[in-house]
Amino acid sequence: MQPPSPSVRAERLSKWYGDVVAVSDVSFALGPGVTALLGPNGAGKSTVLRMLCGLTPPSQGTVEILGRNPRRDVQASRQLGLVPQQEGVFEQHDALAFVRLAAVLHRVADPEAAARAALATVELDADAHQPVGTFSKGMRQRLKVAQALVHDPHVLILDEPLNGLDPRQRLHLIELFGRLGAAGRCVIVSSHVLDEVERFGSRILVIAHGRLAAEGDFRAIRNLMDDRPRRFSVRTDRPSDLGAHLLGSRIASAVEVRPDGQLMVETGDAPRLRHELAPLAAHIGARLTELEPLDEDLESVFRYLVGPR
Amino acid sequence: MTTFLALYRTLLGAVASRGRVAALGALGAAAVLVGLAVGLSDPVDADRAGVQFVNGLGLSVLVPVIALVFASSAFGDLNDDGTLVYLWLRPLPRWQLATAAFAASLTVTVPLTVLPLCIGAALTGAGGAVVAGAALAVALGVLAYVALFCALGLRVQRALPWGLAYILIWEGFVAQAGRGAGRLAIRAYTRSLLSQAADVRLRLGAESVPTAVIVPIAVAVAAVGYTTFRLGRHDVP
Repeated sequence: MQPPSPSVRAERLSKWYGDVVAVSDVSFALGPGVTALLGPNGAGKSTVLRMLCGLTPPSQGTVEILGRNPRRDVQASRQLGLVPQQEGVFEQHDALAFVRLAAVLHRVADPEAAARAALATVELDADAHQPVGTFSKGMRQRLKVAQALVHDPHVLILDEPLNGLDPRQRLHLIELFGRLGAAGRCVIVSSHVLDEVERFGSRILVIAHGRLAAEGDFRAIRNLMDDRPRRFSVRTDRPSDLGAHLLGSRIASAVEVRPDGQLMVETGDAPRLRHELAPLAAHIGARLTELEPLDEDLESVFRYLVGPR
Repeated sequence: MTTFLALYRTLLGAVASRGRVAALGALGAAAVLVGLAVGLSDPVDADRAGVQFVNGLGLSVLVPVIALVFASSAFGDLNDDGTLVYLWLRPLPRWQLATAAFAASLTVTVPLTVLPLCIGAALTGAGGAVVAGAALAVALGVLAYVALFCALGLRVQRALPWGLAYILIWEGFVAQAGRGAGRLAIRAYTRSLLSQAADVRLRLGAESVPTAVIVPIAVAVAAVGYTTFRLGRHDVP
């Protein structure tokens, strides 16, 4: 049996402007679910997303959206919804007219009803006849999400969609993206805000310096970084003694006792630390109350991947 | 048809901003006043005065400049403010977008050029043949300029200075040098129509009526075709 073909496929994607390389040799294939495209500002995230939508041609490589070339085949956009990064919208339209325009151009059967439903999804009032030119940044972001959803696309590409939203709206949209991913849509969300990305889910694509630095579950990525020391916080009634024994037995490569008694341990062999810490504490008569890994969050993974080499 | 109308209305809204319509409407009103002033000055040859008015003010300045301002903004403004993506990334043939931009620009350019120039020509005291010739020449000129400047607005980032350079340097200066260069200026065909209709000789006005009718239409068709082609290759912001 053939494996299901990916919704979005990028093959050796590169983009350069004169001598400046914006994206270099990026390949990935994405299916249903939410994928966070992560990278610092200027890393090439928006360029990758623009190439995925066909808005700009790759200098090298290919893109497929559900097997179609989005640059050449206008029908690819039938199953594609985009929230672009720029704030510009048709200023004279009200929210309903703006989203209805998208529905009409996608030949949705009942554009009015679809537009109202999409606006309700992002909690915007379809009957407020306020020109979108007067909208706040957060309202514009939700409006852009509504126009991307109105034709119920299979692939949803969102470039920094949570910028300018208040915490409640952020949570609402994060849950919405999660529901769409769970319903079988391929949702790609770019962000440079790490705690935001962590809430989208665990699947990430990390772009750094125009290259794909990592792809997959960020916890799995962290586990693969065997060459990086891991940091743990240990709570015990005898932190100095335990730290000395961890160093002496070469389980830890560095230890630090904080003024509040917290023992910080750095190790190149995390499984051994986990396995031998409790027996060692028992051996020296120390009471162990906490062992917490400090760098298994997305931020530390990101710091390792895109930090200075 | 529904999708074309939706594109057309959106582009018309973008092109016909209040400021633009007011400024260029004032320019048209000024042209009417100039026509009235010419008429009140009791010219010796009213037909010739009417032709000079339409040619000097209308075909050389008003028609190309108004067409440039509206048509170059059809894609130029959408490119600049990042809204083109909301029309481009839709499952529609590119020709619909190109044609809608052309139609929207025509809708606002035609009344602001044809009406004041025909009224102004009539106020100079010129005969019906001059007014009819002016209407045809201006309408065909608008057709060609609008299509050309729509394409220009999509192709270059600062379409206004490029368009003005074409109008002032190429059409106003280089094309005057000889018939060969003149044939590459739309003004040569609009002047020819006016000249033939009014039976008044004009510099660069020697093309036959069929040529003067066919060439602007052909330019318009070719420019809309080129816009369609460019839309497929455009780097959409």
